[in-house]
Amino acid sequence: MADKVLLVGDGPLAEETAAFFREKKVEVWSLEQAREKAVPDIAAVIDGVSGPADWKKEGLRQAEALVFEQVPIFTSALYTCAAQAASWLNHPQRVAGFSPLCLREMKTVEISRPLQAEEDSGWTARLACWERWGKSVEVVGDEPGLVFPRTLALMVNESAYVLTEKAASAKDIDTAMKKGTNHPRGPLEWADRIGVDQVGWILKGLFEELGEDRYRPAPLIRKMIYANRLGRSTGRGFHRYR
Amino acid sequence: MIGAGTMGGGVAEVLAASGCEVILYDVTREALDEGVQRIQRRLGRQMKKGRIEEAEAEEIQFRIRPTVRLEEVAPARWVIEAVVEKLDVKRELFTRLEEVVDGESVLATNTSSLSVTAIAAAVKHPERVLGLHFFNPAPVMPLVEVVSGRMTHADTMDRAVSFIAALGKEPVRVKDTPGFLVNRIARPFHSEAYRMVGDGVADKEQLDRILRSAGFKMGPFELQDLIGIDINYAASTSVYDGFFQEPRFRPHPDQRQMVESGALGRKAGRGHYRHGG
Repeated sequence: MADKVLLVGDGPLAEETAAFFREKKVEVWSLEQAREKAVPDIAAVIDGVSGPADWKKEGLRQAEALVFEQVPIFTSALYTCAAQAASWLNHPQRVAGFSPLCLREMKTVEISRPLQAEEDSGWTARLACWERWGKSVEVVGDEPGLVFPRTLALMVNESAYVLTEKAASAKDIDTAMKKGTNHPRGPLEWADRIGVDQVGWILKGLFEELGEDRYRPAPLIRKMIYANRLGRSTGRGFHRYR
Repeated sequence: MIGAGTMGGGVAEVLAASGCEVILYDVTREALDEGVQRIQRRLGRQMKKGRIEEAEAEEIQFRIRPTVRLEEVAPARWVIEAVVEKLDVKRELFTRLEEVVDGESVLATNTSSLSVTAIAAAVKHPERVLGLHFFNPAPVMPLVEVVSGRMTHADTMDRAVSFIAALGKEPVRVKDTPGFLVNRIARPFHSEAYRMVGDGVADKEQLDRILRSAGFKMGPFELQDLIGIDINYAASTSVYDGFFQEPRFRPHPDQRQMVESGALGRKAGRGHYRHGG
């Protein structure tokens, strides 16, 4: 029988997450649907909300109220570490962080274990969910942005500083990284694809959690988010789209 | 072309392959011969792989005229320097070059870590000086960063961009800032990887696997083994110092320790991973 997951959140990234599950023949339920019609056999909660923390907390609490206490809760760790998200719940030991970025493209999924969860059979079962969904699992440390989102966000941030200094154009920045060091996409076109707001959440999470200047989001990124220049989804980000 | 080392010879080959007449200068006959032989070996390999005809390889070699006399670069319209990365050496060289070449010629430096502006300041006409940063190996890597120093004239930049495009390379324009584009924006790819490993977020193999899965051809650690851990560390410190110790660019202590231990990557047989034997 097909798995059912309860998806928290909306927006382009949550939609892409939903699309991944549908491709894997997993039924995706929204909070509204699950409230209207009780679904007893939800296999997992997938929290696709990056931030703000209040929305995330609210969504996670609503989801927790709708499922049994042993159901795994996978929370997007782009902005918050899994330990923080787990701290909001009645049963924090069933939480795991994950990265929703490029979920359809990547063979692997990054998972982080919050301090509240033991490395026990329950944990192994949580990892097995992702293997069932066709992913090879990489368990990484529980810090905002995990590995790939953190790496990408910092390159985008540096590119944003270059733009601010008017040292090069967005197009030339992307060309340079593709042709000069073989990156599969330029940092700015990549940011436009995943959403400039997502880059902002990752940087904000790192900056708040680790408290170091190296993670400070470039003012240009913050302004782009205010101006709704979020990338492909809104027609304009670092580049323009029709 | 000034300097017949790996980079200078590589750029000379690119120029000759696209039809330019190249005067290849180096200080000593030995350095020059070695450089020319390196070009010949590379062309030989290209021939074996069937990428170029014998006649073509011969023509390319024929277009490169080696010399140890700097006066012989006088007819050059484009002078590209790829000598040792020392500011004093480059400044002195540019002063001499200015005396030798025509006033219309462009003087370019292939520096990756020095300030183009500081090099240009040595000459009377800095408006015709700019950076042309080729990537190693020059015949293979398509990108060239065309670097505008503080005094570089806009026309010089436009001419250089057209010139690079005519060579079949991909020019990008960038202002004279530490690390230019690639070395600067790639800093977090490397330094944050050290940081994550140091803080126990992931181990090296795992981190490389994750980033490969995201689409990078190589993860940071396998890439550093290829390019040389010392080379990458030098890029880190140069960008860090260039920005007056901006915290974003701070290198990781493990970077230095790897270099100190002699684990420099593939060329040393060991780096982040073991190689050979």
